[in-house]
Amino acid sequence: MNNFRYIPASDEEVKNLYKFIGIKDKKELFNKIIGDIPLINEKELDFMPDQMDELSLYKYFSNINDSLRDCGNIPVFAGGGIYDHYVPSAVDAIMSRAEFYTPYTPYQPEVSQGTLMAMFEFQSMTASILGMDVVNASMYDGAESLAEAVLMSSRIYHQNKQNDSSKSNNKKIKIIVSKAVNPYYIEVVKTFIEDLDIFIEFTDIDSIKGNTDANDLTEKLAQNKNICAFIVQQPNYFGIIEDLETIEKIVHSKNCDASLNPHLIVCSAEPFSFGTIAPPGFYNADIFAGEGNGFGNYMNFGGPLLGLFAAKKEFIRQMPGRITGKSKDNRNQDAYLFILATREQHIRRQAATSNICTNNSLNALRAAVYLSLCSKQGFKEISLLNLKLAHILHEKLLNTGLFSLKFTADFYNEFVLEINNKSINSTKFINEMLKEGILAGIPVKNCSSDEILIAATEKVSIEDIDKYVESSVKILA
Amino acid sequence: MKKFPGSKGLIFNEDLLINQSSKGLYGISIPLNNFSLSQFKKTAKDYIDPKFLRNEEKSPLLLPEVSEPTAVRHFTRLSSWNICVDTAFYPLGSCTMKYNPKINEVIASLNNIRNLHPLMTAGYIQPILKIMYEFNRLLCGLTGLDEFTFTPQAGAAGEFTGLKIIKKYFEVKNEKRNIILIPDSSHGTNPASSHIAGFTPVEIKTFLQDYSENPNDLNQHANSGILSSDKGGNNINYKTNKNGYIDINELKKYINKDVAAIMITNPNTFGLFEKNIIEVADLMHKNGSLVYMDGANFNAFIGNCRVSDFGVDILHLNLHKTFSTPHGGGGPGSGPVGVKDFLKEFLPVPYIAVERRKVKNQAKFQNEDGCCCIKDGNKYNNNINSSGKSASLINNKNYGEDKFDYEKENYCYYYDLENEREHSIGRISSFYGNFAVILRAYAYLLSLGRQNISKVSEIAVLNANYIKKKLKDAFIESDPFPEDLCMHECVLNDSVFQSEGISTLDFAKLIIDYGFHPPTIYFPKNIHGAIMIEPTETESLQTMDNFIAAMKEIKKKGKKYASKSPKKTKTGRINEVLANKNPVFK
Repeated sequence: MNNFRYIPASDEEVKNLYKFIGIKDKKELFNKIIGDIPLINEKELDFMPDQMDELSLYKYFSNINDSLRDCGNIPVFAGGGIYDHYVPSAVDAIMSRAEFYTPYTPYQPEVSQGTLMAMFEFQSMTASILGMDVVNASMYDGAESLAEAVLMSSRIYHQNKQNDSSKSNNKKIKIIVSKAVNPYYIEVVKTFIEDLDIFIEFTDIDSIKGNTDANDLTEKLAQNKNICAFIVQQPNYFGIIEDLETIEKIVHSKNCDASLNPHLIVCSAEPFSFGTIAPPGFYNADIFAGEGNGFGNYMNFGGPLLGLFAAKKEFIRQMPGRITGKSKDNRNQDAYLFILATREQHIRRQAATSNICTNNSLNALRAAVYLSLCSKQGFKEISLLNLKLAHILHEKLLNTGLFSLKFTADFYNEFVLEINNKSINSTKFINEMLKEGILAGIPVKNCSSDEILIAATEKVSIEDIDKYVESSVKILA
Repeated sequence: MKKFPGSKGLIFNEDLLINQSSKGLYGISIPLNNFSLSQFKKTAKDYIDPKFLRNEEKSPLLLPEVSEPTAVRHFTRLSSWNICVDTAFYPLGSCTMKYNPKINEVIASLNNIRNLHPLMTAGYIQPILKIMYEFNRLLCGLTGLDEFTFTPQAGAAGEFTGLKIIKKYFEVKNEKRNIILIPDSSHGTNPASSHIAGFTPVEIKTFLQDYSENPNDLNQHANSGILSSDKGGNNINYKTNKNGYIDINELKKYINKDVAAIMITNPNTFGLFEKNIIEVADLMHKNGSLVYMDGANFNAFIGNCRVSDFGVDILHLNLHKTFSTPHGGGGPGSGPVGVKDFLKEFLPVPYIAVERRKVKNQAKFQNEDGCCCIKDGNKYNNNINSSGKSASLINNKNYGEDKFDYEKENYCYYYDLENEREHSIGRISSFYGNFAVILRAYAYLLSLGRQNISKVSEIAVLNANYIKKKLKDAFIESDPFPEDLCMHECVLNDSVFQSEGISTLDFAKLIIDYGFHPPTIYFPKNIHGAIMIEPTETESLQTMDNFIAAMKEIKKKGKKYASKSPKKTKTGRINEVLANKNPVFK
């Protein structure tokens, strides 16, 4: 038997282990346990590659990494749900601590105070950024978080209906969704609700301004019954800042009985925006669901990300996921632990508010470290920088005369432009720009092929922007 | 006197960071730009309508105000209050807390890889797509199933995905089946996932005991589901009526045309391999139902047997368990779902498609959009394998594909993400699941290779049986299954500790002071005061002996400190009632 470096059992020890439990060898061990089920023989493992020593393994991936330099090390103007924010070295330094990345869920709070206190700080900081009462200790990503928000809203709706005996308790309920919500998020929501008697109705967008059409929303709310929630994204999929003040008034004034009003669910893929624009809590949002990946996390080709989930305090017992709380220990010190666990699957089983168990705790911890480093001032400045750089790029691109404005409403750090040169669609433009060493944006999903969604973060410089403009002139003129 | 790892030391105190604020400080470097003066002067209200702006008075931004060193020290001190796999034996049953290889962390932090935007043009990211494709093939080989999806981000998401597939399968067949059978020893996520997928979970009793919990007593331990009847000194009859396996006769009572599937954890949460699983699968299949396996415990037989050999149709795996990726203090994980051929069409989107394309130029080639498909493809491919010829690390012969020979042919594999599949259940996550976790797991399999893969479960099972037998020799009456060999974990009831006046919770807190992370406690729920120990293959004999010695000492001397422990940790026993009565969450 060859030794393998992750397995600290010498040949001698393995022999003794077998002897101690009274078994001859591996074959007997497994045969005794699994009975007639065939054991895999050596030949059948042919599909597995040869073992690699660590140096070869490193070289292998290092070469892959090198081969990706033209896409992993270039200015990124692509967004569409995930944005390329800078990760300070101090975040990586903290996150390389095994004390944080090798334990599991803090089932034993006394030996997990580090993770728990950091989670408590994560909740406090993100709650403040969002202006919401209570944030949980993370979901998987923005899309799943939004789907859970819909499920939560439907639970509250059914509960309220039950309490209100004058109304018939129709099992079938509706959600109204703005068409300006990220299409991937909508797809995930659809997957979640497909078998649950929850139906989707969409509101149109204002084709000139690019935000949710308030009149259509009013109409849809009037036309439909049993609406549990309206979902709007801030800033929306096209980067546009939604007029949440107007929307909130419309949504929350449907019924005279406030408990039966639809919930206002605000989602966001770019919570950096709330360093500049008013947060969802300011507009009385009932539930917030979003993507927090930009806070100290890498894009990682789309995962792991960081699902943010927040709600009003009165809904805390209907929230999915883990919530860290503060208490005292038997020495009268402050101590942290998961609270309200009776909502959760390991206790409630099918009656739980969600099936989530493992979440994206380490990504939340990254966000906690990142936001701490940012501090109040840094967060506001970076938020403003994103907005500024996007607007500078927007203006410069329009000045070339090669692009047309798609929407007129105010945007944060992302916007849609139309390519005037009809022989070059957005996919072709993006590919040509990649050759120039720029990820120029993404094609706008479910929209015309000459539209491109462009984002800027603090990671791009004025020089990158100028290069973007130059290259697009070269390609499109 | 035995020297246990839990020894005296200096414990740092540390306040919340917000309480260390000093107005105006921040610890981040803001990128400096060569703005023109007019650009520099502009503020938010010059770009957007002031009515949208955040108002500090109405929405105060309560972030700390600290410098970089203060923030770094803060989190470093916090980290010192955690017990983790790298500092201590962490035998948390059912969680497979094995060592997390460091090279995998290095690989996942390679800069170009971690900075990849998920919507990058496929032609530029061929090696990334290839990793996902090849890892898929490897999981198929190890399980005997035909295709995996990586989009579920953790085990519970995998369950949900699998259940949605089941739902769609019957929908397409035009059959209405609403019931999922779940043995009572299952993970809590199983019934919860069934419920949110629109099924009715029905519990099957596998293991009856003569004790009963008071159903009115819902004052449960927040972190482990402990029922408060567990006070010690109760007259508990530990006599068991069943043997820990699914009882075929019991199961038969539940089988009818409403049953869509059985969700079965194998090995089960007693650490036992379901001896009747082939018979169970046959019964289900004869009824037209499917067999879903919760593969959280795959570490028990990886490389030694395949789930396809005992009738499993759908399976989820936990890469953060069996495949050595870090648990991250509660995630991220990854819960790939594998299916048999007949269920492929229902898998979520996107999925990786591969085709063989002709290459004009051997070193580089262009796709129709004019993009380079594989940059220096040969170079990195040839560097990796001793043979230097295979385009792939994996022998594709086993999958009906030709092995590609770069020297003779001008072809290359081209990978792409596809979003269309007729009966797909749809999208499960924002993009393609947790790629950085998949990457680590792939690197883990490459390190092991065919030479070592079967050793993982062999040693995991050996270690668990070593602990089981050692403990059985010490406290025989606590082993509910004294006649059986276990798989990767063993379970004890609390009878031995109860007789000393030590509850399972006390035991867990006591063993912390010896320098060990406690095992999983009070689960499975049908073993009284369960203590569930999973050593994994990455623990040494010395460590296990040390742990067993600590357990014996606790039995002998623990009572005195039982309610006061842990004493050596930064924080003592925490008041959960207070925390739940008046929740403080920010």
